[in-house]
Amino acid sequence: MRSFPRAMRGTTRRAVLAGGLAAVLTASLAACGSSDDEVTGGGVGTAEKPVSIRMIANDAFARQWQDQMVPEFNKLYPNIKVTIDGVPYGDLLAKEMLELTAPDPTYDLIVADDPWIPQLAKTGGLADLKGDLGKFTKADYDWDDFNTGPLAAGEWQGKQYSVPVRSNELLMFYNKTLYAKAGLPEPTPKLTWQQYLEQAPKLVQDTNKDGKPDAWAVGTYFTKDPLTPTIWQTILNSNGGQLLDGDNKPAFNTPAGVAALQTHIDLLKYAPPGAATYQFNEPLEAFRQGKTATMFMWGSVYKGTAVDPKTTTLKPEQVGIQVMPVGSLSAGAHRGMWTAAVAKKSKQAEASWTLLQWLSSKQGEQWQSNTLGVFPARKSTLSSTPQQEWLVPVFKAIADGYVAIDAGKMWRPKLPESDAIQQILATQTSRAMSGQATAEQALQTAADEVSKLLKSKGY
Amino acid sequence: MTTNTQTAPARGGTSSPAGPGDRRSRRPRAGGPGLRHRWRDLASRWVFLAPALVILAAVLAYPLFYTVWISFSELDLATFTPARSVGWMNYRTVLEDPGFLNSLKVTGVYLALALPLQMLLGFGIAFLLNVEWRGRGVLRALFLIPMVVVPVVAGGVWKMLLDPLWGFVNYVLGLVGIGPVNWLSDPTLAMVSLVLIDTWRWTPFVVLIASAGIMSLPGDVLEAARVDGAGWWATLRKIVLPLLAPVILAAFIVRWLGAVKMFDIALAATKGGPGQATDVVNLYIYEKAFRSLEFGTASSMATMVLAITMVLTFLFLRLNRYLEKRW
Repeated sequence: MRSFPRAMRGTTRRAVLAGGLAAVLTASLAACGSSDDEVTGGGVGTAEKPVSIRMIANDAFARQWQDQMVPEFNKLYPNIKVTIDGVPYGDLLAKEMLELTAPDPTYDLIVADDPWIPQLAKTGGLADLKGDLGKFTKADYDWDDFNTGPLAAGEWQGKQYSVPVRSNELLMFYNKTLYAKAGLPEPTPKLTWQQYLEQAPKLVQDTNKDGKPDAWAVGTYFTKDPLTPTIWQTILNSNGGQLLDGDNKPAFNTPAGVAALQTHIDLLKYAPPGAATYQFNEPLEAFRQGKTATMFMWGSVYKGTAVDPKTTTLKPEQVGIQVMPVGSLSAGAHRGMWTAAVAKKSKQAEASWTLLQWLSSKQGEQWQSNTLGVFPARKSTLSSTPQQEWLVPVFKAIADGYVAIDAGKMWRPKLPESDAIQQILATQTSRAMSGQATAEQALQTAADEVSKLLKSKGY
Repeated sequence: MTTNTQTAPARGGTSSPAGPGDRRSRRPRAGGPGLRHRWRDLASRWVFLAPALVILAAVLAYPLFYTVWISFSELDLATFTPARSVGWMNYRTVLEDPGFLNSLKVTGVYLALALPLQMLLGFGIAFLLNVEWRGRGVLRALFLIPMVVVPVVAGGVWKMLLDPLWGFVNYVLGLVGIGPVNWLSDPTLAMVSLVLIDTWRWTPFVVLIASAGIMSLPGDVLEAARVDGAGWWATLRKIVLPLLAPVILAAFIVRWLGAVKMFDIALAATKGGPGQATDVVNLYIYEKAFRSLEFGTASSMATMVLAITMVLTFLFLRLNRYLEKRW
């Protein structure tokens, strides 16, 4: 069993090294180590000799998992002690990279955002769940029950490195009260972008009749952030376009790409003052305060937006959720899976994989959805009747979203350079958003920079 | 002058506690007890210095060397070690990177706006605080609060304060019919906002140094000026400012070294945006290293920024020495 001090030694050494480098580079570099191709099982523990595993996850849900999911898991596996450390989203990828390349990693389980798996897998630090850990996979673990999109998020170069543990999609939220006040019909999944943009001016309203607008049409990502381009990427995808072609060359610098980015920019006209700085929290807060009629946002926020009175002023009957408006090919959605992987150097790979199997199993997923409101990835869960009524329309939106995601390949590039590409797109999107460049100029610059980046990496 | 009279004996005293005269008298004779004494003296000095040297090597020299090493290498992400030497390739890539060149320009603009503003405000406030008035001590203590606020928190709080819809600043401006002002989403105003946040945070530091400098001004010289009939403007221009010049420059150098590495406020408040309007060089390097994981080029950028900073700091220090000698 890994002792805590030993685990901490590895962390401390890298922390010291990273701290020193930060003075010059503001980057951190970890010590090198030998690679260990042999994945050891380590068992699932006994009452006399329990095993301990440690997980690194986003702090947005690490506490919830530690407090609720782990006790539920321990009902079945009482001899596996699980510790979950939360790390802010912005620091998570870099910390996981350092972890996986360390000679004696602290963490057995790595929870990663959708586009990170290729980058993490490239280090050689992730176990192949079907290969390395196939011998520990339970006979009733149903791989085929997953929707293809969510499962594909954990696959890279023919190997399954992770499984979906918290599914997510960009979806459209709408405030039924504000639609009614504007005299507009409630949106349906067939709403097109053209119809949406025609309705948008009417959704900028003066609801208290003081002569000034106090409700606006839309809130979403507009600021300089790697997730901001996902909005116009989804519009592009729903019109049949792609970011990269089959040879990994930029394919977004086209009239369709320019139109998609311009649509995103045009949304700003109908957004609250200062919306150009909107990232994740700001549009969420505006919608929850009843200030915006629609919101293009990650669907997982639904419970906090429509159900939980501690975090929202709205009620479930006021909030609609559906796929994003329809383009020439399909409706829009954008895949944003949190998947979990087992570190190849973990001494407790069997116990770690056991936790992931339970969490992503039919039973575990239904428990997560019904208890925590987490989005499922399995067909069986989505076709089941949820215990909570508010999940019914949510499940329908998620299922529609998976269809759209598959149709339009609505995800960020599946390359180790995915984050670097999103950085370039974020900067150029922001330039266009703030008027420093036109949509054409921004995409031209982005295409040049992405080409240069990928060429330097041998694509 | 005070500064000179303090530094003069220190120069002599740094080499030996006994002073130059004693050192001459202890010149060792070949093979005699003097040589042994000298060796023991040298050895004991190195023994006392060793812990500091080891710590400095570990926390300063090694990371520096490692960064320079990586800047000439391709980093293998699988092992996080330099995989192979690439010569000057990373540096060529950096010099052709318009984003990096833009970030240098943005940093220059930020420094050109923030540092003079902080120096002017800092010394101006210090002069006001130097005059006896009730409540001066309380105000002086309150001034220190921004300095202890974590930069990321400062950036985040100011982002909320400047929000056009929810922010306090726009609420106040709205009371007099101004706004809402898009402080952080307009490229020009975003830079202005960044300078204001940094000024809010660091002006108290300048006030602190300036107050110490003003309090150390020789009273007899000011008294003599008053007797000679010099007005406040003449006293300020001909006596106070020349006497304070080394202090002003010292404060400037300390602030320069702090400001040139600023990135946390920008990260929290604007993320370098909109576009690249507030993409200061350290934020650009941080993003390149941590987000894009381009450690080779990021190290080259860091090395270049280090070199530029060292050259400019050297020039400032020379100027400081010149000013000290001049008055």
